[in-house]
Amino acid sequence: MAVLSNRLSRWTLPMFTCALVNFLAAQGLILAGLTWPAESISTSGTLAAVHLLVIGWLLLLVLGALFQFVPVITSRPLVSQSMALVTLIALETGMVGMVGGFFSIGAGYPTLAMALPLGGLAVCLGVLIACWNIGVPLIRSRPLPLPGRMILTGLAFLILTVTLGFSFALTLAVPVLAPYLAPLLAGVGDHALAGLGGWFTLTAMGVSYKLLPMFMLAPEERGIAGDSVHILGTVGFALAVGAGLARVWSAAGPLRTAELVGYAAVAIAVVLYLWDVAKIYRTRKRTVVEAHNRAAIAAFAFLGLGSALAIGFLMTGHLSVGAPAIVFLIVFGWLGGLGLTQLYKIVPFLTWLSRYGSSLGRGHVPRVQDLVLERRSYPWFALYFLGVLVGALFGLLGSPRGFRACIALVTLATVGLVIEYWRAWRGHYAHLRHGESATPPFLPTQRG
Amino acid sequence: MSTEVSLNRDLVLDALHDVIDPELGYNIVDLGLIYEVEVGTGIVEITMTMTTPGCPAQDYIMSGVYERCKSLPGVDDARVHLTFLPAWSPRLMTPVAKAHFGIQE
Ligand code: HEM
Repeated sequence: MAVLSNRLSRWTLPMFTCALVNFLAAQGLILAGLTWPAESISTSGTLAAVHLLVIGWLLLLVLGALFQFVPVITSRPLVSQSMALVTLIALETGMVGMVGGFFSIGAGYPTLAMALPLGGLAVCLGVLIACWNIGVPLIRSRPLPLPGRMILTGLAFLILTVTLGFSFALTLAVPVLAPYLAPLLAGVGDHALAGLGGWFTLTAMGVSYKLLPMFMLAPEERGIAGDSVHILGTVGFALAVGAGLARVWSAAGPLRTAELVGYAAVAIAVVLYLWDVAKIYRTRKRTVVEAHNRAAIAAFAFLGLGSALAIGFLMTGHLSVGAPAIVFLIVFGWLGGLGLTQLYKIVPFLTWLSRYGSSLGRGHVPRVQDLVLERRSYPWFALYFLGVLVGALFGLLGSPRGFRACIALVTLATVGLVIEYWRAWRGHYAHLRHGESATPPFLPTQRG
Repeated sequence: MSTEVSLNRDLVLDALHDVIDPELGYNIVDLGLIYEVEVGTGIVEITMTMTTPGCPAQDYIMSGVYERCKSLPGVDDARVHLTFLPAWSPRLMTPVAKAHFGIQE
């Protein structure tokens, strides 16, 4: 019986690597003072940093994870492993083009500004290929469990997001089109909401609904609560984004109402989701919660905090004032935080699969936990989340210096965590625990 | 013939303690992943499950079971079947494993 390694997504780890490099690059831009909150949120430096974060870091991270994860929940392979590489290349080069384009617009070089729509086009293509690659196994799998349904919904919002983004890019970079497309720019908030909410948040919720119970041995069936989170979230984001976009052309009062109803539905979905996540932790059979899921609690708290702030600013009519801090909390605290914590499990797991899996049954093999030393990760997670929290506060208070000092802490923590991922991948701790023999390929027999 | 006499279900189960579920970090026998062991002349048939369907480590765990069985004296071939009926749950763990994970039941 040959070992079939088709369960390992080949391009996932390279995607994670690029994602982490982009994340650090974005932090570098902020530290260099080129972006928000020193600048208002819509300056070119900020737009560059935001897209370095959402495409370079989060999109590569989430798609890389989905390439590994969707075959797990559907028991069907991706359409094509090599197309995953095409997505990686298209997203990375496209994102670099976009960032260059944003800076060129800011610096007043109209010719170079074409890099924005061209890069955006590459990103759109990479996204469409990824949607096909993971959409096909999802659509073919019946009945599709809740996580899969939430990911499918997320993909629809992703397509909407990048289409809107592409039309913005054309407006900014191609003057002849500007008169026709310019009104759309008023929908930039809807683009952001569709991307950060409809796509990233619904997808992250869906994935967590599988991974949390799986790693903590809690019941996977989420029942009415899970379905309600999905339906309320979908309808809520669709209403808020749809009515928001329609308001670009029409000032009709019912549209505003529809938008508010949408926000309310999203708020209920978030509360329900957080309650359900707490329930997963409470009903777990595995007493010891591993580091990645302990630290993830902070990410869930940031989802709650970011959403509460958004509702607060919305109700007082000052959403645009709070927007930079809210985007920061959601991107760094919730999505980025969840990403960093889950990488602390996914990287060792993929390392185990690719390095040790084929030795199983022929001798003693390290466990996935043997590849990390959890207590090394806690200070970095704590520093990261603390930096994000205080950073958001400085952002709200309008203190760029304090904000940047916090980002320096966040960067330090990110580097610390990257070193821990690297050690897991290199078998550093397995080697310390089991000696020479844990350096793959390896193995003396002993019982655990 | 002496090897066939010594080859039995307990011996196979004992050997399978060497195969771990990498994520839970515990041997698959005490986790309750082995549903059936049939020992024929030189052939071992195992029916087993995974903690979750589509587990990425599935192929490695099954191949580990195959390799471990094949390495037993007297085994010419091993067949490993996968089933999700019934679905695995922590209730299927042995008391030793339950104690290890702090599961009260
Ligand atoms: C998952 C994908 C994406 C997310 C989450 C996202 C998020 C955002 C956010 C939060 C903003 C507002 C930032 C600010 O005002 O400073 C924004 C603005 C913008 N995005 Fe995206 N974006 C995504 C993809 C794209 C793509 C693929 C393109 C181009 C093809 C694009 C083009 C733009 C442009 C041009 C603006 C600025 C519009 C203006 O001038 O106000 N975005 N995006």
